[in-house]
Amino acid sequence: MIYEPGPMGPDAVSGLVGPGRVSGVRGALRRRRSRLGDHAYSALRWAGAGLFGAVALGLLVGVGSDSSAALQHSGIGFIWSGTWNPAAGQYGAGILVVDTLLTTAVAMVLMVPIGLGTAIFLSELAPRWLSGPLSTLIGLLAAVPSIVVGLWGLLVLTPIFANQVEPFLASVPALGWLFRGEAYGPSILLASVVLAVMTLPTMVSLSRTAFGGVPVADREAALALGATRWQVVRRAVFPAARAGVSAAVTLAVGRALGESIAVAMVIGNRPAIPESLTTPGATLGSAIVNQFAEASPGLGTSSVIALGAVLLLLTVAVNAGGQALLRSGSGAPAHTAGALR
Amino acid sequence: MSVLIAPSRRELVRTAARRSLRRRQIVGRIVLGLCVLAVVAAVAPLVALVYFTISRGVGTLSWAFLTHAPTPPFIPGGGISTAITGTAEIVGLAIVLAIPTSLLAALFLFERSGKLAAALRFSADVLTGVPSIIIGIFAYAVLVLPLHQFSTLAAAFALAVLMLPIMIRADEEAMRTIALDLWEAGIALGARRGRVARSVILRGALPDLVTGNLLAIARAAGETAPLLFTLATPLAAMTLLIYTDGTQAFPSAQRTAWATALVLLSFVLLLSVAARLVAWSISRRAH
Amino acid sequence: MTAEQPILPAALAAVAAGPVHGGDTVVALRAGGAHPQVGAPAREDAALEGVPSLALEGVSVSFGEHVAVRNVTLAIPSREVTALIGPSGCGKTTLLRALNRLHDHTGGRVEGSIKLGDLDLYAPGTRPELVRTRIGMVFQRPNPFPAMSVFENVVSGLRFNGVHGKTLLREAAESALRHAALWDVVKDRLHQPAMRLSGGQQQRLCIARALAVEPEILLMDEPCSALDPIATAKIEELITRLAPEVTIVLVTHNMFQAHRVAGRTAVFLLGEDRVGELVEVGPTAEIFASPRDDRTRAYVTGEVG
Repeated sequence: MIYEPGPMGPDAVSGLVGPGRVSGVRGALRRRRSRLGDHAYSALRWAGAGLFGAVALGLLVGVGSDSSAALQHSGIGFIWSGTWNPAAGQYGAGILVVDTLLTTAVAMVLMVPIGLGTAIFLSELAPRWLSGPLSTLIGLLAAVPSIVVGLWGLLVLTPIFANQVEPFLASVPALGWLFRGEAYGPSILLASVVLAVMTLPTMVSLSRTAFGGVPVADREAALALGATRWQVVRRAVFPAARAGVSAAVTLAVGRALGESIAVAMVIGNRPAIPESLTTPGATLGSAIVNQFAEASPGLGTSSVIALGAVLLLLTVAVNAGGQALLRSGSGAPAHTAGALR
Repeated sequence: MSVLIAPSRRELVRTAARRSLRRRQIVGRIVLGLCVLAVVAAVAPLVALVYFTISRGVGTLSWAFLTHAPTPPFIPGGGISTAITGTAEIVGLAIVLAIPTSLLAALFLFERSGKLAAALRFSADVLTGVPSIIIGIFAYAVLVLPLHQFSTLAAAFALAVLMLPIMIRADEEAMRTIALDLWEAGIALGARRGRVARSVILRGALPDLVTGNLLAIARAAGETAPLLFTLATPLAAMTLLIYTDGTQAFPSAQRTAWATALVLLSFVLLLSVAARLVAWSISRRAH
Repeated sequence: MTAEQPILPAALAAVAAGPVHGGDTVVALRAGGAHPQVGAPAREDAALEGVPSLALEGVSVSFGEHVAVRNVTLAIPSREVTALIGPSGCGKTTLLRALNRLHDHTGGRVEGSIKLGDLDLYAPGTRPELVRTRIGMVFQRPNPFPAMSVFENVVSGLRFNGVHGKTLLREAAESALRHAALWDVVKDRLHQPAMRLSGGQQQRLCIARALAVEPEILLMDEPCSALDPIATAKIEELITRLAPEVTIVLVTHNMFQAHRVAGRTAVFLLGEDRVGELVEVGPTAEIFASPRDDRTRAYVTGEVG
């Protein structure tokens, strides 16, 4: 979705030159020097933009071409073929894709209610003196490096999950079947929890923005009809913020799909169909991390890079969709005076 | 014509309003309770992360730890100085590569319109979501494979590529927020040269530019995946060191990992806080 | 006729109540000044017709340190249109919002007493949601709920208040839309998005939405300021038709509008310390033809902006 904000720079106002044309030789020299200056500046600008464009293109091309060996070997079926077993020379991303989607899905199931509830609280229900510091606190979570979250997941959560959480979950009456099987720590569930923690700040901040963008007029209309606060949120704010919240979820999904190092530390590196959520698995990202060092040069490396290509396609598609949703939602009218909390 | 004030209908509405109010209030309180639970669940991981990092890492921290180089395995007395200086070098080089490019590209996007600018802007938005591991692969393909060696340059390049789209969009947004008022004021005063107007905008957008760039740097400093593909040894950067030591079974290695994580976390959090403080003080001095 | 029904007091009361735009109930007050004469006639109106009127006493609204409007004592008689006029910034809208407790959400502090019949709006036990079902509001810019259809908008107030019966909702919607002069326009498009209507139609939709809840009083905050002259005329006609059935308090910065539709007019102006105050109130004709306060005269003759 291409969009074009209006031009703001000198190019937009070329016709509106103000007063002050100096005449004579001195003026001509000054004009010539400043014209050179302008040319130099323009060249620099082009250099910056060009460099960035080259990087963007290079990324696509580079990843694509280095996966070519693997794709030539396995064909396009690489994406969904079942086994990933480098030792046996079998390279197929299917299981990894399944595990990637599974961990992301479970992460969203855990994260979205918490993120949405937090955003509602901060935006609609909390007193002003509380919502500021609290949202700063949640924002700090976004600054924590993924390796630290992975370390915490590996060394702190794994034993807790293996010894207490997972056996407990397996005994829950209705849902126990999801968590059956021997639980010795690294698992899909653990990876999903880690992903949920890492995507939470994104969800909260984007959802808050979406709620904040709902015009005051809609809230006032509901209040004036005798609605309670929650009714205002449910009937006037939610529907208007739908696009923004969808964008938040989509972008969180994009982030979860691509997270590699933290997942690699807690998922157990087992590229096989998971029997339950408490068995280990392997996602695209975690496979790249775990397999790269040991990959045999040539076909092995190329296959790992091909995994990267698949991941790239997946995340770019999801993120582009999320950005589009974000843009469609922010067409809110300008009179959000914010007089109502 | 039907009667507007049908007393019976009015009474009905009144009664329904009164009766439903109790239920509506209870629902509201339940929702409030659920939201508070959600907030607690949201804050808990952060608290847990900080708590465990501090409690498990602080024991190993010492001045020696920070200033001594690592020693071979099982020989005591080592530290992580090479990792700290390594991270500093890589991030520093990445900053040198990324900031001028991103600023110029942002100016380009800000000042020009047209399909090219729109396409570049869209690419930047999409690129901010590219997983860092892909960027690592990219740097590997471009700088490691052809030259047959890992290098600080390759690592810095990877981090720069990571930061570039984030900085470009943040810079452009900073300019656009400031620009409308300042630009119109500048034009009204008859600004003769584009450069004059430009410097006015840059000065006005400075606080936001500083915040945006510092936050991008903080993010890059904490990345591990790109370094996996570009560095020869985990001793060359803190994040890699945490990964290799943390995934080992030896308690001593794990202790090192926690301590390094504490150093990294403190650095990144301080940088994030500083980003906002610096911007705040710049904008205060301007007034 | 039984002995329990004395004729004389009833007859006297009928005379005292007078024509609806009653001259007897003039209450001309100055800021911070005279004693209210709200009492008897208004209450007898209410006793006769069963609709309470609104009584303000010493009402001030402030935001932190800044006082927006001060010490307003005013009686809003029932079944009439009372206009609040004055230049912008003198607190008319702020005062209006105090009447349905919207300031609970804006951070404004309301002092003084506002009573709807016997109900003290700001008493600790009074629920604002219930107040707002008795006192409705129409805003300056039409604000139908964008995600709802025409029908859903009209019945949204009923739904908020726990009324769900389908037949009742349909009847109420039709009645409200007829009274807002919108039924013929939308009767075949009830389930289309409300935002497809024109500006003037949207505002009438908002009026219908407010009416559907059967309020006793309808507050209107410059309802025509965002509309073109034709739409304005339609809404003014609507107001005049509604007046005998719903008490209307209309804020307008257009004096001529007040002259056209309002039976009583209250004039607000900015005092010396930039605080809004009520300068004079009375039958519209008198306010314009023979105002008692010099400031009123200056305003209505256009000397002062």
